[in-house]
Amino acid sequence: MEKLIYLYGIIPAGGIDAAPLPSLKGLDEKSQIYRLPFENVEAIVCELDPVEYSEEELEKKTNDVNWLHQKAFHHHETLMKLYERYPIIPMKFCTIYSGLESLKNTINTHQKRMLQLLDNIADKEEWILKLYCERDKIKEIVACNNETIESKKEKIAAMSPGRQYLEKRRLDQLIDQETEKETHVFSETIHEKLAALSVDHEVKRNWNKDVTGRQEEMCWNSVYMVDKSEITNFKSSIKELQDKWAESGWYFEVTGPWPSYHFARIS
Amino acid sequence: MELENKEVGLIDILDVVLDKGVAIKGDLILSIAGIDLVYLDLRVLISSVETLIESNKETAEKLSSKQFDYEKEELDRVIHQS
Repeated sequence: MEKLIYLYGIIPAGGIDAAPLPSLKGLDEKSQIYRLPFENVEAIVCELDPVEYSEEELEKKTNDVNWLHQKAFHHHETLMKLYERYPIIPMKFCTIYSGLESLKNTINTHQKRMLQLLDNIADKEEWILKLYCERDKIKEIVACNNETIESKKEKIAAMSPGRQYLEKRRLDQLIDQETEKETHVFSETIHEKLAALSVDHEVKRNWNKDVTGRQEEMCWNSVYMVDKSEITNFKSSIKELQDKWAESGWYFEVTGPWPSYHFARIS
Repeated sequence: MELENKEVGLIDILDVVLDKGVAIKGDLILSIAGIDLVYLDLRVLISSVETLIESNKETAEKLSSKQFDYEKEELDRVIHQS
């Protein structure tokens, strides 16, 4: 039975000549990672046992959180090592081909697009921003500084005690709504500032607290493709924003540079 | 703020390597559906936690809406008296 081929990424032809491929173990921790040269590009791959990594077995494996943890890290860490040496189109986790023929066909079909992508990502870096907020703090600020809320408060103060109680509850709801609005407007403003410094950007979905394991709420998750000449500026802008807004309960979590997972998609 | 050498967690990694499924379709033995399964598991986990929280919240709301009715009666009384 033919071995399966796990594809890590695509690099330009001749890339290996400039920097030799480091010795890296494959996904199964046994096989060796090697290169498959094509006309204009090279594929970085490893072989996998077709029984051990069959679709069915893989499904079982991916249900195991420990396996997923370990292998997702393996995939990413391998790509980081490659990314340090070559311009690379990174593949998503578990991009596996049934054999050499199917990989060849796919690469031959997409070679032109791949070259174009490699050209697009040259001299650029991918950075991810996750914006977190302390909702209670934001709420407090909104409650003190929002005009609609201020005028409501004044009106309530003039009401009878029973009415006041009810209206105060309604006011709390309003404060919640305004806080939500404020959070979104703030995040969007930050995003627009950073997007202006980038050549490309994408807004990702937010993760809830059960996933992030953080006390603060994630209110923005986005990714930027930044020209290398703009990186210093990009980073110092974020630092400035963080310094300015930390006291108000905003936290900027920036990670990068990442292999171009978001801006080098083949299809 | 430390921008470089930031320790990335599993979620950071999954957020980039799984999101949107695989890049090349076609002759892959592992389909996008396969990738989605990984994602789904995470979602199932999340939604089960969410369901738990929701059901707690519902109980809390029932209590508070009863409380609310009581307050409303109180209020009506105040209004009628005045």
